[in-house]
Amino acid sequence: MSSRRTAAGGRIDRLRTIRFTFDGRAYAGFQGDTLASALLANGVSLLARSFKYHRPRGVLTSGIDEPNALVTVLRGDIREPNIPATMVEIYDGLVAVSQNRFPSLAYDVSAINQLGGKFISAGFYYKTFMGPVVGPLKGTRFWMLCEKVIRRAAGLGRAGLAPDPARYERMNAFCDVLVVGSGPAGLAAAREAAASGARVILTELDPQFGGSANWSGETIDGEPSKAWASDIVGELRDHDNVRLLKRTTVWGYYDGNTLAAIERVGDHKDAPAKGAPRHRHWTIRAKNVVLATGAFERPLVFPGNDRPGVMMASAAQRYANLYGVLPGEKIAIFTNNDSAYRAAVALNKAGATIAAIVDVRPEISEDCRALARQCGAELLVGHAVVGTAGGKKLTGIKVAQFAIAAGALPSGGHNIETDCLLMSGGWSPTIHLASQAGARPLWNEALQAFLPPEAGQGWIGAGAFNGTFSTADAIAEGFAAGRAALDLPRVEPGTPHVEPAPLDPRPAPVFEIRAKGKAFVDFQHDVTADDVRLAHLEGFVSVEHLKRYTTLGMATDQGKGSNVPGLAIMAEAVGKPIPEVGTTRFRPPYAPVSVGALAAERFGDLKPERLTPMHDWHLENGATMYSAGLWFRPMIYGEAGETIEQAYVREARTTRETAGIVDVSTLGKIAVQGPDAAEFLDRVYSNVFSTLAVGKARYGLMLREDGLVFDDGTTWRLGEHDFLMTTTTANAGKVMQHLEYFLDVVWPELKVHLTSVTDQWAGAAIGGPKAREILASCVTGTRVDNEVLPFMGIVHGEISGAPVMICRLSFSGEMAFEVYSGAGHGTHVWEALVEAGKPCGMVPYGLEALGTMRIEKGHVTGAEIDGRTSARDLHLGWMLSKKKPFIGSAMMDREGIVAPGRLELVGLISLDNRPLAGGSHVVMEAYPENPHGSLGHITAACFSPALGKYIALALVSGGKARHGSRAHVSDPLRGRFGPVEIVSHHFFDPEGKRMHG
Amino acid sequence: MVEQQSPLEPVFRPGSHGNFADGVGVTLSEIAPCSIIQLAAWPGEEKKLMVVIGSVTGLKLADGAGAGASSDRYSAFGFAPGKFLVIDASEGLATTLAAKVAPAVGTVTDLSHGRIAIRIEGAKAEWVLGKLFAIDLALAAFPLGSGISTTHHDIFTLMQRSGPQRFDLYVFRSFARSFWKMLCHAADEVGYEVR
Repeated sequence: MSSRRTAAGGRIDRLRTIRFTFDGRAYAGFQGDTLASALLANGVSLLARSFKYHRPRGVLTSGIDEPNALVTVLRGDIREPNIPATMVEIYDGLVAVSQNRFPSLAYDVSAINQLGGKFISAGFYYKTFMGPVVGPLKGTRFWMLCEKVIRRAAGLGRAGLAPDPARYERMNAFCDVLVVGSGPAGLAAAREAAASGARVILTELDPQFGGSANWSGETIDGEPSKAWASDIVGELRDHDNVRLLKRTTVWGYYDGNTLAAIERVGDHKDAPAKGAPRHRHWTIRAKNVVLATGAFERPLVFPGNDRPGVMMASAAQRYANLYGVLPGEKIAIFTNNDSAYRAAVALNKAGATIAAIVDVRPEISEDCRALARQCGAELLVGHAVVGTAGGKKLTGIKVAQFAIAAGALPSGGHNIETDCLLMSGGWSPTIHLASQAGARPLWNEALQAFLPPEAGQGWIGAGAFNGTFSTADAIAEGFAAGRAALDLPRVEPGTPHVEPAPLDPRPAPVFEIRAKGKAFVDFQHDVTADDVRLAHLEGFVSVEHLKRYTTLGMATDQGKGSNVPGLAIMAEAVGKPIPEVGTTRFRPPYAPVSVGALAAERFGDLKPERLTPMHDWHLENGATMYSAGLWFRPMIYGEAGETIEQAYVREARTTRETAGIVDVSTLGKIAVQGPDAAEFLDRVYSNVFSTLAVGKARYGLMLREDGLVFDDGTTWRLGEHDFLMTTTTANAGKVMQHLEYFLDVVWPELKVHLTSVTDQWAGAAIGGPKAREILASCVTGTRVDNEVLPFMGIVHGEISGAPVMICRLSFSGEMAFEVYSGAGHGTHVWEALVEAGKPCGMVPYGLEALGTMRIEKGHVTGAEIDGRTSARDLHLGWMLSKKKPFIGSAMMDREGIVAPGRLELVGLISLDNRPLAGGSHVVMEAYPENPHGSLGHITAACFSPALGKYIALALVSGGKARHGSRAHVSDPLRGRFGPVEIVSHHFFDPEGKRMHG
Repeated sequence: MVEQQSPLEPVFRPGSHGNFADGVGVTLSEIAPCSIIQLAAWPGEEKKLMVVIGSVTGLKLADGAGAGASSDRYSAFGFAPGKFLVIDASEGLATTLAAKVAPAVGTVTDLSHGRIAIRIEGAKAEWVLGKLFAIDLALAAFPLGSGISTTHHDIFTLMQRSGPQRFDLYVFRSFARSFWKMLCHAADEVGYEVR
């Protein structure tokens, strides 16, 4: 291992070497390392190129707030871009690559962008690519020209195109208390809540519970803090009422105390456990929430603050204490507060030389001076870092005196040789979830930070989240929060004794050192302090506009480190205090969430689908299936060598010549029951149902409230108070909703119950000249002749021992019967019918033949009932009762609905003997070069075996008046133009002789 | 009488499946009761309907949403205001109930073919169902015998807790195969046995 790895310490397993590659080069790390810690240990300081300027970037932080070191992780063909190296746990065989560079990370041609700094500053896109088109190089046209190049040069990683085979899952959880964050405050809260027997969920986004206790180096009541944390986690593990979720990021806080979290179950393994998901998405409904999410250390804004080797002080401390890695050998510190002094001591203890501590404050405490002495650092109080040196690696810094009151720098300064600069600009409590849940954050002048707003829903804060930076106080707050979350009586916690004693958490109000050079505020989006000032100069006042104009805080890190410095610079430019400038509201997600986890299992093989009882029979007998909504239905039962048209023509012709059978189980079926069922149907149908006799069925038409047609179907009266309504397959759900609405809201006084019984019944429609004969040969317990079973009559009997209900009705126009059996008997009855039909040559037919026969008969379906047609448009005006009101009756005679010239249903016959297609326009004359003047459009088309012609149904202005006239179809998309004759929609057997026998 | 055909037939694979690192997490089975009947009372008539359920099945249902009970032969639970599902291992329950429920009290709807009944049992049953349903399945929140209506994706499901670690799920028949696949998929992680 390199000299950057300390001899001992950290939570890594030094006995377990892990091998991985970065940009094709092999490296080794230890079990427990992140990609960032392992690369740092290997002396790698250049990990990425920046978004816009392609500046070399290293690791800035040690956690989820990392803006620089974004990498792409490869698993076979699967590439997952934009993952912070600080969050990638290494495993044997890990392959990671850098991104946004060409041809290599070290030599990136787009680094030339750095020379165009002023040209591509904030607002570059707006100024360059928006506005009127003037000449060839302005506006949208220019953007179209440049887009590909710009998109390739600027941005993040490239997403892969290969399908992701990983499993993703969703999980629902309920608890009394959700504790977010497992640092000292979170652990104390979880322990206290769990002790009362409440259901507790504790989440931690890192691989280990404990938060800062793992790396702070403190002792709590005499015990090393990480051992203290480990003991509590052990205790919690023993509770049945506690669920511990590590590697879990709570990313969204929604109404009703519903929180969203993502658990990275398998990302740290080379292969997931059998059946385990890669990510599990948690929806947690918590009675109360304890937010113990800690705080982020803020960067300072000064020229060159993005050079590889510049890092947050707390991150360096964490690398040293958690991973046994030194980010540099000769380290300098730049701070505006006390906390960095502890980091200096920790790093010195781990083996690093502390070259200097540069503090902007003119005065510091004696404690800090002692710590500086302890680590042997040169102490430069009242100084600031005004520049950094080096290329892809820090080699030194320039330091100058700094007058904090004026914020000014005298000229001059001196250089300090260093390979690592640690900075600390104060701390921002991680208030994202609280912000998502409620009001705007509140500015705290002492801490120079936004603190959580007053709780708007059931959450309580604890620890650094509240701005409480002392570990002892954080534990006490956690204890109190754990009790308060359960409304337990307050008790005074015994404040633990924590060593060393806390330092002063208040930083100096210094966010930026103004000197020559690019000083970055938002590292990930390459937003500089000058960009913020430019936005102000260009008239942007609102912080929301600043954000959008500069894109500050809009990168994948959501401005975790940049928001406050950005606001401070804006406030200074505007001349207002920070709270008056305000802050933006944090929105979910707190951190990026995989789309796979959101979609979970609802795709591919696991997408829900509906199958009829005879589904397997259809497949076994050569049906080609297609989807109709969630249902799967036979399209054709093709024979060898047949085209689709040949198959459906054969099926339809055979049905008209002898008999055919079709699966109609998908029709919506609703049981309408109760003493007021008949009255209810009179109100929802346009025609009368109360006069329908028991044992009879009637075709019904429903209108919407606006008077247009909604749905149609037959309804069977099975008993005095018992109806079976059928709907179209597509509209079953909508009709059910429509009926339930009226029953629940408009007519609650009606005693009617509605139940979906679609799945209770298997339906087989058998039609054709031989249909009755076939049925008679297999039905027992009833006759099916005209006397017992007239048109629209219903009988009950048995087929092959299974009870059936038969209604004589026809969609095909043939003598036809719908045979309903219990769905569990569906295939049994179907097979008996098919067997009985064999002597006559009966065929099963699919939806194409069904559609063909209905077009020949001029029967309407969803293609014609398209939400724009009235009953009269479809020549169903005879179904509009004048004896009673019904839904839609008040609106069906509106001027627009009865206006002349509306599209009406007609038939079309192709005169050039070529197929017609749905969606084609009907025009008087076809002008392929200039299509115009549509009379209407085709709704459905087929080849009619009965007529021997290509025919279609169409909605055409003028309707009946055009019967016998000629027109043309115009279908420019498919290049189809040709003459048609407009005829009645009743192409075949208009008198219905075949149907009535 | 002709036996009902299970819609699960092609995908019902008895035996052990999934990850057995920690033993069998759940057992999945199809119960296939002969009668699944929905009873619905008019507002104010609920108690009378509960009396009928008691007289036919011997099950006493407590007041309150979702209250239910089971015996060796029968199960019953409320799943919506005034609505109950009554399950019988034997045939003929619809006829029996129809004779006893007066039109002034409510309605009887036979769903014996329209729904299938799937049982999930085992130490990981709550975990597996937690992947599918946003329902608090802890014993205290969803006690023994109680029922609920819920949905997974587009699949409406009625669920009854029939044991401390056992749940009976009533699913629309046309969705049964999809639902079964999802359930098996969800149980993969904990290891499952199909019986």
